[in-house]
Amino acid sequence: MQQEKYEIWMMEYLSGELDENEKSKFEKYLQEHPELQKEFDAMNSTWKQIDRVEVPVPSEKMDISFFNMLNEEVEKKKPITSNRIERLKSFFGSILKLQLAFGMLLLTMGLGLGYMLKSNPSTPAVKETMVTDTNTETEEVRGQLVLTLLEQNSANKRLQGVNEAAKLNDASERIIEALFTTLNNDPNINVRLVALESLSKYVETPEVRMGLVKSIAFQDSPLVQIALADLMVALQEKTSVESMKQLLEKPDINNTVKRKLEESINHII
Amino acid sequence: MQELTNNALMLKVKSGDLDKLGLLYERHKKRLFGFFYNMNSDASLSEDLVQNVFVRILKYKHTFTGDGSFTAWMFRTARNVNYDYYRKNKIAFNKSEISTVEYKLEDSDTVEKGMQRKDDISVLNHAMKILPPEKREILVLSKFKEMKFSEIGEILGCTEGAAKVKAHRALKDLRSIFLKLETR
Repeated sequence: MQQEKYEIWMMEYLSGELDENEKSKFEKYLQEHPELQKEFDAMNSTWKQIDRVEVPVPSEKMDISFFNMLNEEVEKKKPITSNRIERLKSFFGSILKLQLAFGMLLLTMGLGLGYMLKSNPSTPAVKETMVTDTNTETEEVRGQLVLTLLEQNSANKRLQGVNEAAKLNDASERIIEALFTTLNNDPNINVRLVALESLSKYVETPEVRMGLVKSIAFQDSPLVQIALADLMVALQEKTSVESMKQLLEKPDINNTVKRKLEESINHII
Repeated sequence: MQELTNNALMLKVKSGDLDKLGLLYERHKKRLFGFFYNMNSDASLSEDLVQNVFVRILKYKHTFTGDGSFTAWMFRTARNVNYDYYRKNKIAFNKSEISTVEYKLEDSDTVEKGMQRKDDISVLNHAMKILPPEKREILVLSKFKEMKFSEIGEILGCTEGAAKVKAHRALKDLRSIFLKLETR
């Protein structure tokens, strides 16, 4: 056998890289070559003794100086960014302070003026009844307008109708029904979103809440689904969980919506 | 497995998460210290050199690609640190090496004569110190647990087979120095 190959083989044996089968092969080879056996024994004992050379344990001083060095490096990295932020802050700070003071002054002046104008004590009772009369009249007209507008073909008109509905102080059942029809069936996403916004004004009414919960399962647009989920979390409406779960089971559901719904369900529960 | 996380940790350090170096330090400080101590038998110097290795790892972290093993990369750095230290202190080192060896040989003589005792381990210790540094180095590296010859090859910049041959010859030399010391 080549000398180099034998040397490699012996090192593999000594360092434990050989498996049982290969080990016995090497041992057999040695038995067949007694002149090598002697040399091997000597090498083996020296090899084993190297291990017994004592190495002291490093002192704590080493740890301390290492971590000091590391902390210094970490600190060195930080100041660069925070220094920049500091400089920016001081640069904008002076301008911002002036603006803030001026803004506050304007705000208090506005508030004071508004308060003075509003709290005009001499309002006759007659005027008040007249105003309420005209108010109910406009409400009625507006209600009619809403219903007509919601039936228009143009999305713009329907949008206007929903916006008008939002201005109503107290919506009749018919209007709420019309808004729900819009929310569930309108082909335009924007119109549906605004309808939802208008309806959210009436969440105190149990019917409206019920209708909204039912509506969750009807929606196919991610935007409306998310808006509904947000509203449900705000209302802490427990009955909505079932509808949201139904929606989650739909195969074509958007990933973002899926996450949003799961989050919302967790929030509500 | 550990090597995998070593590499992952080092890549984190590379990307700016310097705190992770602390973990790598805790994992490898003993091995590195052992390496240096076996090379120079000076505990306080070895501690300094371990520190230098980590300073260098931070300084050259951008050169770590994660392709090879972290341990091999670290020991290559350790070798360079060791080499640079000796180069810087060349004159002093060479002189002191010769004189300490002679001094130690005399010393071991008197000890042996005085106490009439031949301690294999202490003789082997002397033999290791007399062995040329590059030979001592490969024996130290190959005696470390979990260090494979493939990694040693990576550290020394040679093939696995060449690393084994080198180790074998270093061991042989160590043996003959040991025998010479013993028969004195």
